[in-house]
Amino acid sequence: MTNTPTLPTKSKKRFRSVASRRRWLRVFALFVMLTYTVVTLFPFYALFIRSFVSTKDSADLHLWIPEASEVNMNAQVGNLSVFYDLDLKGLKDAFGIPQTDFIMSRTTLRQLGEKYDIPEAKIREFFAGFYTFNGWKTLLTGDLYGTSFWGALARTLLITIISVVVGIILSIFTGYGLAGLRRRDQMVVYNIYLLQMVIPAMLILLPQFLMFQWFFKLFPGYGNAGFMRYGLQLLAIILINIKGTALSTMIFTAAISAIPQEVEDSAMIDGASSWQYVRHILLPLLKVPIVSLLVIMLPLVYNQFLEPYVYLDPANSTLLPFIQSAVGQFSTNFQLIYSAIFASVLPMVIVYLLFRRMFVEGVMAGAIKG
Amino acid sequence: MRATIVPPTGNPLSRSQGKRKLSKLEKRRMLRDWMFISPQLFIFVLLTIVPFIVAIPILFTDMAQFNDPQINPVGLHNFLALFTDSGVQADYLPALRRTVIFVVLNYTTVFIFGLSLALLMYEVGFRGGFFTVVYLPLMVSGLAVGYMAVMLFSKETGTVNLLLRETGLIKKPIDIYSARGTAFILPLMVGWRYAGYNMAIFLAGLLSIPKETIEASIVDGSNYWQRLWHVYFPQMLPSFLLATTMCLIGSFAVFDELVALGALYVNPEAKLLSVLFFTYGFQIDRLAMGMTLAVMTFLPLVILGVALQRLQRRLQY
Repeated sequence: MTNTPTLPTKSKKRFRSVASRRRWLRVFALFVMLTYTVVTLFPFYALFIRSFVSTKDSADLHLWIPEASEVNMNAQVGNLSVFYDLDLKGLKDAFGIPQTDFIMSRTTLRQLGEKYDIPEAKIREFFAGFYTFNGWKTLLTGDLYGTSFWGALARTLLITIISVVVGIILSIFTGYGLAGLRRRDQMVVYNIYLLQMVIPAMLILLPQFLMFQWFFKLFPGYGNAGFMRYGLQLLAIILINIKGTALSTMIFTAAISAIPQEVEDSAMIDGASSWQYVRHILLPLLKVPIVSLLVIMLPLVYNQFLEPYVYLDPANSTLLPFIQSAVGQFSTNFQLIYSAIFASVLPMVIVYLLFRRMFVEGVMAGAIKG
Repeated sequence: MRATIVPPTGNPLSRSQGKRKLSKLEKRRMLRDWMFISPQLFIFVLLTIVPFIVAIPILFTDMAQFNDPQINPVGLHNFLALFTDSGVQADYLPALRRTVIFVVLNYTTVFIFGLSLALLMYEVGFRGGFFTVVYLPLMVSGLAVGYMAVMLFSKETGTVNLLLRETGLIKKPIDIYSARGTAFILPLMVGWRYAGYNMAIFLAGLLSIPKETIEASIVDGSNYWQRLWHVYFPQMLPSFLLATTMCLIGSFAVFDELVALGALYVNPEAKLLSVLFFTYGFQIDRLAMGMTLAVMTFLPLVILGVALQRLQRRLQY
């Protein structure tokens, strides 16, 4: 502002007021952004902390991981196994109690120690950190309806990777076939894909499921649990994921239409087949739309719940249906539920933060196309 | 470099030779296009369009479950049940009321979160870091968002409740399982989750406005509100239509968040229409009725959606 003395006083004043208004706007914007950031990050933080807060402490406010509390010697074994999913088999092993012995659910830890002559210190040692890490320990080592957290996570990753890769390849093919939208038949196909945007999954869920039941019956191995049945169920989910969406079609049709026809003509004259053209010339040119679809599709597929919940057997389930059935089973152990939810959120958030620039650019490019 | 290899004589020749040769080329091109279109189109039509056709005959039967051995035709009974059967009405009407409330509130959050954040971002310049934060909740599943809501707003153990009570801001805790709690917190959480998505839509609309029109309005002395209503919004109309379509279809079909709130078992306040259709089909053996109700509810929406979509595309190009 030092180079403005030549200005008349009136316009100088005006200039200053505009400048100060801009400054106030910046302060206000910064304040809003900061508040929104805190409000957005808080649930994630609270979820992390709550995964370490035992059910008995959950009515107190915890803003940090609570100190590991000693086990109460008057706690009853039955309550511990209901509310904290105490591993009774492991307990018997650790204290040398024969597996065949029945422990009454009303038995307190003190009585247990007296009955089997276990020193109190040993019991306390066994239960060290029990309340704090109970949720995580049960989640990561536990078994539910024939599958574990790790199995469910592996199936989720398998479905996600196959769906995204195959889905993008098929969508590129569609975009190449529709490029330019020169003919009537191309326009019809394009409009059919646009319908997807307005048809909610819930509307077609029931008849779609019925059709898959008919399809599954063609395979004799589907009737009993095994590789065939589980494979077919996973295939159904993958097919639903790769069927193409309005967005995928719009993104690739627009991107391939924008490539000049001369590029293709010259490749053909040099003797390339359509396949070679798509593979060696088109694919490298499509980096931006591929990233765009990838970052939009990835969280949708990873976080898919409705279809896996309906189609997959409990022993064959992916992460979210696994968590939902765990909720049904351990409805009293909220510590476990929050651990499971945090564990399900973490992989996608890590991928997002690692590739955040790709996500931001891809999403904006997709939004402009949409 | 290529100019020497490609003699420009080919094009005029084929053109002068008439239509037959050109149509042969066109035919080959069409065949090639369909080779590439057909794999995905086959899956798409089979899984999205054919289910409608499969559903039509079932709507007129009393099919109860997916492997029902005995299916009897019942005529229009399923369609009329909504107006005559008090049992169906008792299920449907409360769910419809909750859904409409949810859709209205959720539509407001599109503007409260999406539009205002997009305007903020537009006025102070694009901030990648803040965008990352706003878009973050979209990485979280609907199920997880539902459980986060339970964690934050449970009556006795909700973190927000405990925090607000500790600081003395509220006396009576918010209860997510009450009718009011569910009605307000659910759209809040869903709006928070989709804030980044809606912001991207509105921001794309804002960025497509020609700078000259904004500068002209500033030179003419307009204030910010006038600029919003007369310069920004009219030129962002396609974005509004897109956000409306997505919100309308999305909120009528909301499901995952409701499951987390216990809609399938314990919490009747979270039973929206999508949960009702799911329950009819998979839990209480009224498959044909569930399908009919779903079609009767969603078909008008699909038609409205197509109309909005067409309008949006017409405005865009």
